[in-house]
Amino acid sequence: MNLTIIILILIFSLSCFFFGKTKVSNKIKISRGKLNSLPKYYGYYLAAWCGLPALLILILWTFSELYFVKFIILSDFKADPTIDENKLNLIFTEIVSIAEKKFSGQIPQNLIPYAERFLSLKYIFELSKLAVIFSTILFSIFFSYEQILKNIKAKESVEKIIKSVMFCCAAIAIFTTFGIVLSLLFESIKFFTVVPIFDFLSGTNWSPGRAFIRDASTEIADVENVFGAVPLFWGTFFIAAIAMCVAIPIGLFSGIYMAEYASRKVRKIVKPLIEVLAGIPTVVYGFFAALTVGPFFRTLGEIIGLEVSSESALAAGIVMGVMIIPYVSSLTDDVINAVPLSLREGSFSLGATKSETTKKVILPAALPGIVGAILLAVSRAVGETMIVVMAAGLGASLTINPLEASTTITTQIVTILVGEQSFDDPKTQAAFALGITLFFFTLIINIIALQTVKKFREQYE
Amino acid sequence: MINEKIKISTKNLNVFYASKQALFDININLKENKVTALIGPSGCGKSTFIRCLNRMNDVIDICKVEGSIKIDGDEINKKNLDVNLIREKVGMVFQKPNPFPKSIYDNVAYGPRIHGLAENRESLDNIVENSLKKAALWDEVKDRLNQPGTGLSGGQQQRLCIARTISINPEVILMDEPCSALDPIATAKIEELIDELKETYTIVIVTHSMSQAARVSNDTGFFHLGKILEFNSTEKIFKNPDNKLTQDYITGRFG
Repeated sequence: MNLTIIILILIFSLSCFFFGKTKVSNKIKISRGKLNSLPKYYGYYLAAWCGLPALLILILWTFSELYFVKFIILSDFKADPTIDENKLNLIFTEIVSIAEKKFSGQIPQNLIPYAERFLSLKYIFELSKLAVIFSTILFSIFFSYEQILKNIKAKESVEKIIKSVMFCCAAIAIFTTFGIVLSLLFESIKFFTVVPIFDFLSGTNWSPGRAFIRDASTEIADVENVFGAVPLFWGTFFIAAIAMCVAIPIGLFSGIYMAEYASRKVRKIVKPLIEVLAGIPTVVYGFFAALTVGPFFRTLGEIIGLEVSSESALAAGIVMGVMIIPYVSSLTDDVINAVPLSLREGSFSLGATKSETTKKVILPAALPGIVGAILLAVSRAVGETMIVVMAAGLGASLTINPLEASTTITTQIVTILVGEQSFDDPKTQAAFALGITLFFFTLIINIIALQTVKKFREQYE
Repeated sequence: MINEKIKISTKNLNVFYASKQALFDININLKENKVTALIGPSGCGKSTFIRCLNRMNDVIDICKVEGSIKIDGDEINKKNLDVNLIREKVGMVFQKPNPFPKSIYDNVAYGPRIHGLAENRESLDNIVENSLKKAALWDEVKDRLNQPGTGLSGGQQQRLCIARTISINPEVILMDEPCSALDPIATAKIEELIDELKETYTIVIVTHSMSQAARVSNDTGFFHLGKILEFNSTEKIFKNPDNKLTQDYITGRFG
């Protein structure tokens, strides 16, 4: 239904375009002697006025329709104080599935009249939607046609329309971010009403599975002391630290090699090759870590008489480190290249070798940029999920032994949310609390990183 | 006139950027403890020429230098030669002041540290002080040696770069338009400095200012389209040049 309407709107717009480009511009030419814009702008102007308001109404209508129908249908049930909001939602879902003949099992007889009512309401709404949209189209075509005849400058108006369309797109991106943060925030607040935020941030025991075990006599979930997130924070930090131990030296040195030592030819080949690492899907890294690196360390451990679990923080950390090498090396390469050639020449002219120049002049000059690059890589490592899920294990333990299994915030979010969950369960809500904590971590790291990179740029521009 | 010793001499020097030839058969003798000015319109190869003298063109991938360049009779344009030794001997001051993003002290101490010229802190302090004094900058900066060199004014930065260059005791100082980014007062100071420095060093200066060449140099070479058209004493070049083009350029009729 909606698709048909969209296609119709587009067809209308297209015809408006040609109508404006030929007929209308001709008419103005005859009546005024001269056009104030190219004929195609009259076309764009009419087409935009024809299509945009109609599309906007279509979107708003579609979203609000369901809400109104639901409101009207459920008004009967709202009088009953025993039915809470969750139950209302459930009833409505049942009514809709009865109406759409998708209901499985015994159909509750009392709901059938409502299902019929739902169908008739929907029919009315759809019809009025059509009517409203097409009267909008007619009205806006008429309005814009009048405007053109008043000799408004179509070119400038089209500029304004384009500007506002682009602004809307940017706004959508920003509002989505806000939406995500808000939804995380609301769910987390629900969680923190059950589990005190202090217990969450400082507790050292993480076993949300036990929150399911309900006390038979009181029907209250045992939420005390099972949502201590410290082991997760530690695991996240620990694995990220191992990853950085791999990524910083290798990334930094390969970045320096590409920027200072490699000839242009070599650089042209090596740089894209290193960047291929960044293009490998993380799930591939995940099974590389789980199937190759993990067992390799276990065998290695057996040989030297160490007990290494096949899921270890070490394997996950190292593979994650390999994954973020290109982030560090590419950015290092960029910031080193941004150091002016004159500084290199100054150093060379004093008889300094390449490595002396790099160590004493280039690196200190590029340091803020490199620090920024590393911080961006850290935030990538902290947010990485797949590798850890597959290679580091699930047991939350406070250990400094890299050979044991470990777990991170992201892994726990996945474990909590996979499978069937009810959304009013503190265990599920814990995922949102973890999510928002992680979001704040990476946000802060990113802000610091971007700030340092910016400072570095200003220095040389 | 008889005691004049040749410091640098080039023979059949040709320079190419990829396939484009930038210098054609340059044969030139530069005298010790004199100032030689190189003049000529933009893009004529002056800078390319002096960058040959400390092998600075090695930094540019596509640049190829052919021919002979001798300093004190020793060939420097050959492979398997430690270019850092040449650059220790032949210092360079660039068009735009390029102090390192370090303190004033560390800027001057950079060269001596790399070449291990100072045995202890005290002798390093001495080198820094002497270099800054020779560059006529000491009095202006002696109370703020720990502040960044990039915080100085343009003229001060350029004198800092000169101090940095002389800190390792070179024999030759190459200057590539050292005053083109400076105001007239700073320029006057640098010119004064060049006059003092020639007592100790052989100086080659590229300049776009005729008056500067006339004021500071003993010899002048006129470059045009990669060739050296005339090389003679500054007096002769500015009063009675042999070449018509030189005359035109000096009087401002072209270039």
